[in-house]
Amino acid sequence: MKLSVLKTIQSEQLKLKHSPVWLAFFALPIISAFFGTANYAANQGVLQHEWYSLWSQHTLFLCYLFMPALIGTYCSYLWRLEHMRNNWNSFLTAPVPLYALCFGKLFQAVMMIILGNAWIFLLYFLCGKICGLTGLPPKESIGWFLCGIPGGIVICCIQLTVSMLIRSFAVPIGIGLAGGIGALAFTSKGWGVYFPYSLYSIGMRANNPNLQLDTKLFITNSLFYIILFSVLSIAALHRRGQ
Amino acid sequence: MKTLQLEFYKMKRRKVWLTMFALLSVQLLWGMWALRNPKDWELKSGWMALLYFLSLLNGIMVPAMMSVLASRLADIEHKGNSYKQLETLCRAGSLYHAKALCGCIIIAVLFTAQFAFFIALGYYLGYEGKPDVKYYLLSYILIFAGNLSLFLLQLALSMLFANQMIPLTAGLGGSMAALLLMFVTTYSFLPWGGNLSTALVRIEWNQDTGISSYFYRVFSPVETAAVVCVFLWIIIFYLAGRILFTRREA
Repeated sequence: MKLSVLKTIQSEQLKLKHSPVWLAFFALPIISAFFGTANYAANQGVLQHEWYSLWSQHTLFLCYLFMPALIGTYCSYLWRLEHMRNNWNSFLTAPVPLYALCFGKLFQAVMMIILGNAWIFLLYFLCGKICGLTGLPPKESIGWFLCGIPGGIVICCIQLTVSMLIRSFAVPIGIGLAGGIGALAFTSKGWGVYFPYSLYSIGMRANNPNLQLDTKLFITNSLFYIILFSVLSIAALHRRGQ
Repeated sequence: MKTLQLEFYKMKRRKVWLTMFALLSVQLLWGMWALRNPKDWELKSGWMALLYFLSLLNGIMVPAMMSVLASRLADIEHKGNSYKQLETLCRAGSLYHAKALCGCIIIAVLFTAQFAFFIALGYYLGYEGKPDVKYYLLSYILIFAGNLSLFLLQLALSMLFANQMIPLTAGLGGSMAALLLMFVTTYSFLPWGGNLSTALVRIEWNQDTGISSYFYRVFSPVETAAVVCVFLWIIIFYLAGRILFTRREA
């Protein structure tokens, strides 16, 4: 059983070999960091909380609006090959269980989330130093990084399900963007922890580093959505295979 | 004309209209939520505030959706590897022209519906007076032009690259840059800055009273140049896209 999962992970890695898909996760945080740092440097009179203020500027729109769409792009790319020509036949007849096929794709998306988050934090640290901030980023930022990962996995699970069901490459990205906009509305009402697309931004404390997060509720909800959409994804794959 | 008709025929069951309708629905829901329960001072300047809100809403949401629309129109031939075959039946230039015109019509319908819905919302909320026809018409033309230039840029990318990840990522990156530019400047010569440069209404927030005042923007020479640049982008992107598409091997 474990071997089949490993096999699917390896085959997904092979499919992504030499693909420039990681470039998107590299480029978008740079744009956000550039403008965020410029805005912070220009408004230091108002933004007086040093590392905290810089974080709010870096993550303002990246985590709310563009990360869900970016994850959507990556997930669409992961399913792109399967939607081409008759590849569904070879995909579904692979000698591995269906859940392993889903897990292989989810694994790639999760790795990208972890690397993407690490890149966001590296940029945050470098930009802080360029702005002349002393010391290291606050200790809480480790929590922001760690909470961002389950929030990101939730979006991965949803987008993977959507991209599997919808043949189009572009439409799931639009859905991701709409989810990000919904996240803004839910978070502003204080219901962010219940809306799947908000979990990433509130986990990362985007635009609000002082947010007191109910970690238990956050993790419970994240796990609930991860399980729900993983089960939906496997069920949809099972139905397609029949 | 026939190629254009065929473009609409190809769109059948591809849910392009549904995607645009979904965008409009999200915008309308956002509008109904953000503009609900207006105060007295908000009712007085309601029509002007609505124009400001529309430019903001379009700046946030529409650029990325233009890349989705362009990708949906271009990817059907990529999927079927049918560009070469199609070019034996009609000229590559006219195929490109038909796709551009098809997108242009969809965008025009989208913004007409958007303006109609939001004006109806304004009347429903009880805004004082009537919308200023001159400014609303001008705003419609400018919003249409700003987003058409983006659509043409995205169409060129989507037609040239079979892998739709490249144009869509470029669209997302550009949308993000445009959104962040809103905090830094009032105009931009970047293609994605169209919604920013063409906004007709500006806002001034009084920190003491908590009241926002809206006023029609007086364009400085450089801001006027940024607006003119939007129309230049339309010509440049259309011509560049058409030339590059015609000369590529399908």
